[in-house]
Amino acid sequence: MIAAKLRVWSYYVLLWVVSIVFVSPVLWIALSAFKTRNDILATPPKLLFTPTLENFVHLFARNELWRQVANSVVLSLSAVIIAIVVSFLAAFCFSRFKPKGTDFLMFLLLSIRMLPGPAVILPVYLMYAGFGWKDNHFWLILFYAMFSIPFSVWILKGFIDGVSVRYDETGLVNGGSWLHVIFKVVLPQVKPGLIAAFIFNLIFVWNEFLFNFIIGGVATQNIPYALAVGTYADGGVAWPFIACLTTIYIIPPIAFIYAFQKYLLVGMTFGTVRGEV
Amino acid sequence: MSSMHAGSIGRKPGIAGMFDYRTRLTISLLAPVLLFFIVFNTIPTLWLLGLSFYNYSLTSGMPPEFIGFRNFVQIFNNRNGIWFDLSRTFLFVGLGVTIQTSLGLLLGFLFWGSKAMPGRRIALTMLFTPMVLTPVATGTFFRFIYDPDFGVLNSILHGLFGMQPIAFLTNPATAYWSVLAVDCWMWTPFMTLMTLAALGSVPKAELEAAEVDRIPWHKRLTLVVWHHGKFILMLGVLLRTIDSFKTLDLIIPMTKGGPGQATRLVAMELNKQAFESFNIGWSSAYSVLLLLVSIAMTSVFIYILNLRRRRRA
Amino acid sequence: MKKFNDSYRGPGLAMPRRTLLKGGAIAGLAGIVGAPFINRLHAKEAHPLAGKKIDMNILGIAGWLPSSLGVKMSPIFADYVKERFGYEVSFGFAEAPFSDLFQKAATSLATKSQEYNIIISDSQWLGALAKPGWILKLNDVIAKNKELQIDWYSNTITEAYQVYPDGSKDLWGLPQEGDTIALFVRKDMLADPKEQQAFQAKYNAKLPQTFEDFENLTMTEFEKVAEFFTRPDKQLWGTAMQYSRVYDFCTCYLYPFMWSQGGEVWDPKTGQVEGILNSATNAKAMEQAKGWLKYQPPGALNYGIAEEIDVFTQGKVFSCFQWAAVGLAMITPQNKDKVMVVPPPKHGTGAAAKRIYTVGGQPWVINAFNDEAKMRVALDFMKWWYLPETTLEFAKRGGNPCDKATLSNPNFDKINPWGRAYKYMLEPGRSRDFWHDPKYSEMLALQQEGFTSYMTGQTASATQALDYIACGQQQILHDEGVAKTAPSGKCSSVSL
Repeated sequence: MIAAKLRVWSYYVLLWVVSIVFVSPVLWIALSAFKTRNDILATPPKLLFTPTLENFVHLFARNELWRQVANSVVLSLSAVIIAIVVSFLAAFCFSRFKPKGTDFLMFLLLSIRMLPGPAVILPVYLMYAGFGWKDNHFWLILFYAMFSIPFSVWILKGFIDGVSVRYDETGLVNGGSWLHVIFKVVLPQVKPGLIAAFIFNLIFVWNEFLFNFIIGGVATQNIPYALAVGTYADGGVAWPFIACLTTIYIIPPIAFIYAFQKYLLVGMTFGTVRGEV
Repeated sequence: MSSMHAGSIGRKPGIAGMFDYRTRLTISLLAPVLLFFIVFNTIPTLWLLGLSFYNYSLTSGMPPEFIGFRNFVQIFNNRNGIWFDLSRTFLFVGLGVTIQTSLGLLLGFLFWGSKAMPGRRIALTMLFTPMVLTPVATGTFFRFIYDPDFGVLNSILHGLFGMQPIAFLTNPATAYWSVLAVDCWMWTPFMTLMTLAALGSVPKAELEAAEVDRIPWHKRLTLVVWHHGKFILMLGVLLRTIDSFKTLDLIIPMTKGGPGQATRLVAMELNKQAFESFNIGWSSAYSVLLLLVSIAMTSVFIYILNLRRRRRA
Repeated sequence: MKKFNDSYRGPGLAMPRRTLLKGGAIAGLAGIVGAPFINRLHAKEAHPLAGKKIDMNILGIAGWLPSSLGVKMSPIFADYVKERFGYEVSFGFAEAPFSDLFQKAATSLATKSQEYNIIISDSQWLGALAKPGWILKLNDVIAKNKELQIDWYSNTITEAYQVYPDGSKDLWGLPQEGDTIALFVRKDMLADPKEQQAFQAKYNAKLPQTFEDFENLTMTEFEKVAEFFTRPDKQLWGTAMQYSRVYDFCTCYLYPFMWSQGGEVWDPKTGQVEGILNSATNAKAMEQAKGWLKYQPPGALNYGIAEEIDVFTQGKVFSCFQWAAVGLAMITPQNKDKVMVVPPPKHGTGAAAKRIYTVGGQPWVINAFNDEAKMRVALDFMKWWYLPETTLEFAKRGGNPCDKATLSNPNFDKINPWGRAYKYMLEPGRSRDFWHDPKYSEMLALQQEGFTSYMTGQTASATQALDYIACGQQQILHDEGVAKTAPSGKCSSVSL
């Protein structure tokens, strides 16, 4: 009995150790956010030190910070919401009506996702430059949405495929329109897929740097841009700034992962499971 | 995955009217995605294709000059060491995905039986944290962690093994592997997530039936678990391969492609050519090459996926 | 009517006279008391922009002190023009670090946008920004505005910050910050009698102590000092230089080895690189630069400007070859009394020894697509920037001005600890700039790759690395039409 319990508990301890090992660099960054610059650069590195909040004070005193935060939030949320809506409609269509060229289109969507950032952004930059759409929230959001669509379509199609057609039939027979079927019957059943797609794409746009740097500008700066630009400050490498901003910036995605973990796990099954994982 | 053809629904009298509605519905459902696709994908890609036949540098002040296939000939001749970059990138992707998948599988299986563990949610969240860090910040901070003067890794090695400081990121022998290690650290949790999802997709009924039938655990693994879970796992591998090919944000703060050319990957070189040297024509040709490569890779994967799907159906 | 006029004229005459006298007294008093500020209290000039409000954007260099100084001082300009010309200016700022700044500027200017009206550019980019016509050519502007016809300290300034193409008379920039390489040393360690005795015993020579000692010092002699202070077990090393692959860091600290010993990097007249860059002198210079790594901390291969600041302010090195512009960051409240800034050592021996180091610094450039109002403001800004009081304020805050008047002022050396060394290296012939060629970015990236490949040991021989770079650059220049000859036959087989 005790041996079995010991086995179970050492198993748990192992899992916790693994988790902690993976998160330790992040913890190191978070720890550095509370150190003074000299403490961060101290050799050998300090684990025990007097924590200070001055880095955060300096951070929040920067006036561009609020605009960058606002931009990060607005760009991510809008882009992903638009992408999910568009993808859901398209996925429904692919799943139910299977128009000619479905497979071809799904394939193309995925292969676009495969191109490295500079390859994608080069012609888009020229296009945006030509039309004067650079440094424009609206067009940047649309571009981010485009980038989020492939993954969302794939996930949602998988889930919608898993929703039996009988539901559609029932809905239609009961006098509902297709709109009713789409939004009131099928949508609630693919919630895990929606949430998984939402979180993944949100994290992508949240952390996106290159596109914002090239086709964004002064008005659309976001936090990754601030991190890249602020790496060097007047007095050497700005470790306190980076540590601080990174720590704060990582909190929303982690919160999402914690809160919606169940959905995330189910969502990544791409529709083959609709219960618990 | 068998699915009833949805055309059987809605076959009502007055089919002409219904048919039009159906087509209209299909079109209106697809229209947004098609619009996005055409504006942000098709048009830029065609533009890219066109530009690849020109000699055009943004900073030369001269208009684009048509040169036909010269850019592609130069690619063929390994200008700028393109084939070295590609092979380095393929190695990076191949090794990275293999390590991440193996480790991810291991961890996935490890975590699979831990439903009753206290704080499982927190542990899993901690495990998934590396995925959510901004790559720019990760690169910068790992540069700090690897630093021979101030970094914590060298201190630990010195304290535990009395080793002299290793310049992980500037020593040509270790730079590539150090960068690969960070990439694996970041994305193994993703493969763990996919493994958990794959394991979850195995119908419980079959698992229980297998247990009841006293099938040995390794047969259970291959017959039941693998049979059902491989689809999702393959999808995870596909996604990871796609993203790994694009690695850019992570490497630039760490080594910027150095030392020399040791960590110069395809995306970085393209970024340099397109947005630092502004050789638009040449970069377009390079991008076309990469597009062909990525289409080839995706085709292979889709073929494998479809094989499984068709066999299942 | 007449009576009214007459009676009005009566007091009207008296008032003006009294007012005139009063005014004259006040003006005289004000003139005496406020002589230095006279141009501010000057009556408001008629200005086409009077009464308007204009938004300007400055693009600066992130994390670079002199650039942020230029940006921080812009409110003073806003006050100045409000008082003097009666219009309001508000400034917005954008920044990018050195390694990304050209990218940011070019992607914006290529769209002919007015996103950035004034840009703090690095000196090497003049060609890349001028050739496509993105920045304003300043010859006419300077000719028309005598406030901009300034006597610069030496022709190094003009060559580095204004001229493109090299050797011509076309001017495209106005200096914002002058910069040269200096040697920051810990004078407390030099002054320590125990150290002096130990050094004397070991090398039978004296530790250099003063500015003049360092003026006459050669690299061979300095090597002894560096070796003396390399004590890894005490976490102290002799010196630090930059070897990083990022931007131009490795190149800037390698060029002095080459130039000071007679090597060249190209022929500006013919655009020829092959045969000139990959010479035996340069190969030897590279080997020497690599040899200096043994006196530097293990992380030296990654050192750029910021890393050197970190390592020097944390007391890990005795000396540091570093840009004078970051003096404010190198000299912190903690090490203020311990630091001396001197010229970097000469290369070679005896009478032929000389020092030619890389010149840094940034010019202001003006966006050619500014509309009339913004162009006018930009010109006013330039004129204000070179006012004696602005230049002095700039120096007081830690910047390096470039005009002869300010630098020749006997008090200049006292303003900043590095002022004397900075001025010393600005003398003609002591500092040199890169090629201002529009393709500089590609050429620089190529040689950074090659140089760091050799320094980190990935390429075994310096000659091989130099051949690779020379061939690549010859190809680039030939494609551009600047170099007359194509790369030679052996170039098809070179690699790193």
